[in-house]
Amino acid sequence: MFDTSPHRWHPIAASSDLVSRHVFHGQLLGREFAVWRADDGFVNVWENRCLHRGVRLSIGINDGRELKCQYHGWRYANRTAGCTYIPAHPADAPARTITNRTFAAVERYGMVWSAEQPEGEVPAVAGMEEGGQLVLRPIPLNASADRVVEHLKSYAFAPSAALDAQPVEMAVEGGGAFSVALLARADGAATRAAFFVQPVDSGRSVIRGMLDALPDGADRVTVLRHHNQRLTELRERIEREAARLPAPEPMQPAIVPVSAELAEMPELTPSGRKAALRVQVARKWQAAEGIAALELRTVNGVLPTFQPGAHIDLHLPNGLVRQYSITNGPGETDRYVIGVKREAASGGGSACVHDTLRVGDVLAISEPRNNFPLRRDAVRTLFIAGGIGITPLLSMALALDHSALSYRLHYFAQAESQMAFADRLAELKGNLVPHLGLSPEATQEKLRETLSGYVPGMHVYLCGPGPMLEAARAIARDCGWPESAVHFEYFKNTHEIDDSSSFEVALARSCVTLQVPAGRTILDVMREAGIDMPSSCEQGACGTCLATVIEGEPDHQDVYLNDAEKRSNTKIMTCVSRAKSARLVLDL
Amino acid sequence: MIKLYDYELSGNCYKLRLFMSMLGLEYESVPIDFYPGREHKSDWFLRINPLGQLPVIEDEGLVLRDAQAILVYLAARYDTSRQWYPVDDPRRLGEVSQWLSFADGITATASAARLHDGLFYDRDIEACRTGAHRLFRILDDHLWFGEQEGCDWIVAGDRPTIADIACFPYVILSEEGGISRQDYPAIRRWCDRVKRLPGFIVMSGVFPAGPAKAA
Repeated sequence: MFDTSPHRWHPIAASSDLVSRHVFHGQLLGREFAVWRADDGFVNVWENRCLHRGVRLSIGINDGRELKCQYHGWRYANRTAGCTYIPAHPADAPARTITNRTFAAVERYGMVWSAEQPEGEVPAVAGMEEGGQLVLRPIPLNASADRVVEHLKSYAFAPSAALDAQPVEMAVEGGGAFSVALLARADGAATRAAFFVQPVDSGRSVIRGMLDALPDGADRVTVLRHHNQRLTELRERIEREAARLPAPEPMQPAIVPVSAELAEMPELTPSGRKAALRVQVARKWQAAEGIAALELRTVNGVLPTFQPGAHIDLHLPNGLVRQYSITNGPGETDRYVIGVKREAASGGGSACVHDTLRVGDVLAISEPRNNFPLRRDAVRTLFIAGGIGITPLLSMALALDHSALSYRLHYFAQAESQMAFADRLAELKGNLVPHLGLSPEATQEKLRETLSGYVPGMHVYLCGPGPMLEAARAIARDCGWPESAVHFEYFKNTHEIDDSSSFEVALARSCVTLQVPAGRTILDVMREAGIDMPSSCEQGACGTCLATVIEGEPDHQDVYLNDAEKRSNTKIMTCVSRAKSARLVLDL
Repeated sequence: MIKLYDYELSGNCYKLRLFMSMLGLEYESVPIDFYPGREHKSDWFLRINPLGQLPVIEDEGLVLRDAQAILVYLAARYDTSRQWYPVDDPRRLGEVSQWLSFADGITATASAARLHDGLFYDRDIEACRTGAHRLFRILDDHLWFGEQEGCDWIVAGDRPTIADIACFPYVILSEEGGISRQDYPAIRRWCDRVKRLPGFIVMSGVFPAGPAKAA
């Protein structure tokens, strides 16, 4: 048996195998891979297994940005392999633990290299210049890698510049457990060849060969055929020999359901708001008049998967924490791009972003959270953006646009110069409808026009200033939209919070009863008692600190829940809302 | 209208449904209870095809059996582009015929393995699978070198021919007979290209491809 170390790099595909919008079916040491190149060029090497029902992802659809499983349509993002959408749960954001296992991928010498736990760099091959070599047709064969390596040492071929030469002088120049380097000389010509034997499984291999260069005058395809012919003959010999021996047992790679890091419970921290990620401002530019755009890139590792509608907490150098939506299109997983409007009445957040932040600054951010998930099963989707409210809706529109789903983005702004991310908006072509410089009355009229013609199966997503959202929600109601089809996200909660009540909160799962006095929030009191609760905006706008109400009547003061949800008394935002009843029982 | 004696799970019937869809032809499907009813061996059907095999078509009084023969007929009769069956190009025409014959070999091996695994036919399954792998190696080799010359299809040229249609169904269904296509990356890419042809339709066990990248 050969060395089955998980640390050793092996080639698993030719770069040319990864054509546009294709999924290559690879395997190394028994472990199957789905290998695919995204439209941005990134090579993904993933466990060949959908986390849902175990169906091979190698039969899935590479849409250039995401890989979609054929079975139930689960979508996984380029680079992170995080699940971005589950069709059977169209209204929910998939949990971050639904992330497929990824493996290293390095392209070198026209091949894709991988390993389960790679150590060091992909080996350099003596005499081979990166980019100059000719990659031969890979030859899969039913024989173990060590047997193949032994036979390859006696592989004979002619130099590329003298294919008909006789005799040829062959020399073994080097090699290792899985490789052989050969030199062929004849008629004053010489060709160096390096062969790597990919151990597919205990009894299956692929010969991956390359030549040092293609000399002037030699025909590429003729040289490729020369080797293909000889390697095919070599394969016949090796397989005949291997067939005489009992077939080895296939290898049994361990399938790890969820990466250790993802499976870990979140740490208990007294502060609540977590800023686990460090990012660097890679680019800062003016996305429109009064709007600064930031491109954030990871300092180490990869950024977690985001879904359209998700936001991050940005911890600013002046100590403030602000929420910003991710504007990225699907599969754009190497960065987060946010847009920040300079607020005239800035509490210090937007001013800090505009005036203080510089390219190269390192910032702490939270993982993306998605409390504004996008359904993809609507017969038609409307997006209505007011001003900087474009940011989450841009990400959503780019996602639907890429999947060729029916949508329209209505963008209300003061002037064209204030429309953010013009380059991204241009990608939406005719599906973008700008409404510029309208008075509040004209805006209402336009909203009425836009929201008329509701048919069941349509969904609308609203993001913008509070008064506009209030108006749009009222108009939607008038036009017959059910609340379940109207989705909205407020920038902030402008309601005056009445925290004069005092009441008791029982946490059913934790078996704890707490007193919430006037002037303090449920969230504060829970945290003080050591109960960890995620939160983000802490003003009842973002939806992060949502809890389920089992008993009691909440006093809703947030702008996250819709009216039907509020009436149902089954949910509460613990950062601002309180109780009308003397006691609340929460499912925490 | 063309009448197709049809069975949903038959790759050879799918071949014709697929090609007629690509040509935009309307047809009437006459379902035959191939399994478990063995209606293709019934007296009434043997009068239509004494070989007792599917598919068969009837068109304007012509009764024609054999999937490859029917592809030839449909292309020659209905393809106004004269590309699917290049009668004006003897060299390519010869190659098309060569690969139609090759498709029969795929039926005899890959399809037979699928009948064994799926419909409990008595077959030498190892011989079927070995035979299919032998043919797939030849096809992968051919397609890989085609790719080197910038050719997407089985028979060289800008457009596909009925050779592609004839070979596709039992290649794409091979895993139902326990024949993995993992070792045939060029075949797997060609399958994606066939799936992206205008008018492509699926059958049980055949999945669609996503859109190709816009140029």
